[in-house]
Amino acid sequence: MYNLTSRRAAGALAVAGAATLLLAACSSSSGSSSSSSAASPAGSAAASSAAAPSAGASGSPAAAGASCPSGTTIAFVMGAEADPFFKAMKVGADAEAQAKGVTLVWQGDPSVYSPATQIPIVDKVLATKPSGLVLIPTDPSALQPANDQAVAAGIPVVNVDTHVNDQSKVTSWITGDNNDGGAKAADALATAIGYQSGKSYQVVVGLTSPTATTNTARLAGFKAQLAAKYPGIKIMDVAYSQSQPSVANTNVSNWLTKYPNLNGIFAIDGTNATGAAAALQAKGLTGKVALVGYDAYPQNVALIKSGVFTALIAQDPAQEAKLAIDDLTQVICGKSTAGIQKAVTIPNVVLDKTTSAADLQKYTYVQ
Amino acid sequence: MAASAPAAHPKTASRLRELVSNQTFVLFLVWIAMVVFFTAANHIFFSSDVAGNILADWGPLMLVATAETFVIISGGIDLSVGAITGLSGVVAAFAMQDMTTAGQGATLTLIVGLLVCIGVGLLVGLINSLLINYARLVPFIATLVTLGAGEGLSIVFTGGAPIGGGPPQAISLSVPWLGPFSTPVLVVVAITIVCWLYLHKAKFGRYTYAFGSNSFATRAAGISTKKQITKIYMLSGLLSGLAGMFFYLRLGSGAPTTGAGLELDAIAAVVIGGAALSGGVGRLSGTIMGALILTTVTSGLIIIGVAPNWKQVVVAVLIALAVSIQALRRGEGKAS
Repeated sequence: MYNLTSRRAAGALAVAGAATLLLAACSSSSGSSSSSSAASPAGSAAASSAAAPSAGASGSPAAAGASCPSGTTIAFVMGAEADPFFKAMKVGADAEAQAKGVTLVWQGDPSVYSPATQIPIVDKVLATKPSGLVLIPTDPSALQPANDQAVAAGIPVVNVDTHVNDQSKVTSWITGDNNDGGAKAADALATAIGYQSGKSYQVVVGLTSPTATTNTARLAGFKAQLAAKYPGIKIMDVAYSQSQPSVANTNVSNWLTKYPNLNGIFAIDGTNATGAAAALQAKGLTGKVALVGYDAYPQNVALIKSGVFTALIAQDPAQEAKLAIDDLTQVICGKSTAGIQKAVTIPNVVLDKTTSAADLQKYTYVQ
Repeated sequence: MAASAPAAHPKTASRLRELVSNQTFVLFLVWIAMVVFFTAANHIFFSSDVAGNILADWGPLMLVATAETFVIISGGIDLSVGAITGLSGVVAAFAMQDMTTAGQGATLTLIVGLLVCIGVGLLVGLINSLLINYARLVPFIATLVTLGAGEGLSIVFTGGAPIGGGPPQAISLSVPWLGPFSTPVLVVVAITIVCWLYLHKAKFGRYTYAFGSNSFATRAAGISTKKQITKIYMLSGLLSGLAGMFFYLRLGSGAPTTGAGLELDAIAAVVIGGAALSGGVGRLSGTIMGALILTTVTSGLIIIGVAPNWKQVVVAVLIALAVSIQALRRGEGKAS
């Protein structure tokens, strides 16, 4: 994930933010009407029974196709509107909201991934009394009160991507499996460098910050897989890019000098992937040093073909949003939690030269 | 200052003191000490390859630090340099993406990209000067406004992701070919020389110093302060826009987060270089050393394997050191 928090984000917000927030608020509320279609195409036969909320037989396993009464509103509060990861998520959310016939209210800070900016947004959204809430908590403890407040007000909550500490009141939690993504990166890297047991190999890892949970989960998965399957691969260095490709570029350029026999690079997010790709190209080491990146930004997907990236690990944010909306509509309109899993992890996908063009297109984050 | 060694009284002690109080010379010694230290820790540091890495970082920092030198000597501050760098790179990236998609040649595309960067830089610089001259904002607030707006627009335009798809030759332009020097770095060196002449030998520079020392007296002497402010902030915007193009050539893409925090590095380079934030004092040679020291620390710490977050600590110590040398020098001046 691409965390846009920066040192002067507060300054940026203070000035441009006031106007931008207004704009963003307007655009999301007006945009929401587009995804509220009157009738749901699938399972429309059940429409009449669902129209009366109390009529739903609580015992029956509510069909996923249960359509919702008009006026059903799902609020979706995510991390940072500008992040391509969340943009891709919105595409999935919009499509599913339309399919289920519910109104989607998409909200979040324009660019800052932080509880300080997110909490007031959740408060405002709850004041409009939505039928359900999808929350991507930017902090597991700071968003707990807002999360519980919604549940106390009778608004079911689904967590996506990240989660609050105490999930007992949450309907479900849907996330991409970053740990698994790290392990897949290790596999891709080992394959690319032609790993043979008994030999030793050098790799480096570029992170964006020491605390971003997605980064740490990916690194943990990567390390665990190396220890289990590729003990000959040694992580020589890690460094942080602060979400800036140019900083990642400086890190990788110096590593390439420092380790003349470097075998591979694991760039743990989109910004590191961009910076590392440029460094390899500038030093003429494309194909000589294996590069496994993260996040399917269009620009980086294009670099798989030219061989700069051995592989890219992509998440499926649209699918996460779809499942979240499905769970919520079942609870709100179907009045049942039957069959809802408390925690769902969607595996990450590996994109490489063998990936079909259709799949590349499918997983590339929209811009 | 230290350049004129008094031949009449060759007192070694006083000459030494004079030399030690010369900011640029002290910085040079500090820099040499750093190079020796890093080389001792890992001999690979003393190589053309590492020098190339350092210069690739130095180039864009030097551009914005030069901009900041003019502004700070004039008694102002420009917080928007980093935002201009990011915004110009992003806007140029879109233009170059469009031209490449339309099948235009690489050379023409890169020239247009360069002109777009310059245009965006001049435009934001002009807005800064209008805010200062006519909206009566102090420079800190005026450029805080454009910092916020610029960074925000970069993210809005790009949706957060880097914009590529420009001419594939972009990155190859950033490859060093003259020892550790790449073409963009050589251009920065040339620009720095021109700016040095402009600041220290031309009327524009004298006005800048005069304005920073005493803006009231400058106005009383019949110099148009509004015109001077407009020129200074547009120059600052221009140089920051060029930094945006520098980053584009390095990354082969325009990223919205590029340049975030660059204004703080630029101000650090200028302050380490011996300029006073109160205006009227400073040398571009000091800024050159300041920027070189900052980028040497960055590469050095990576090469010797120290956590990069230590850079901020080292920079903090350097700033404290540099400013106290200034204060000492000023104190001595008063005593004699």
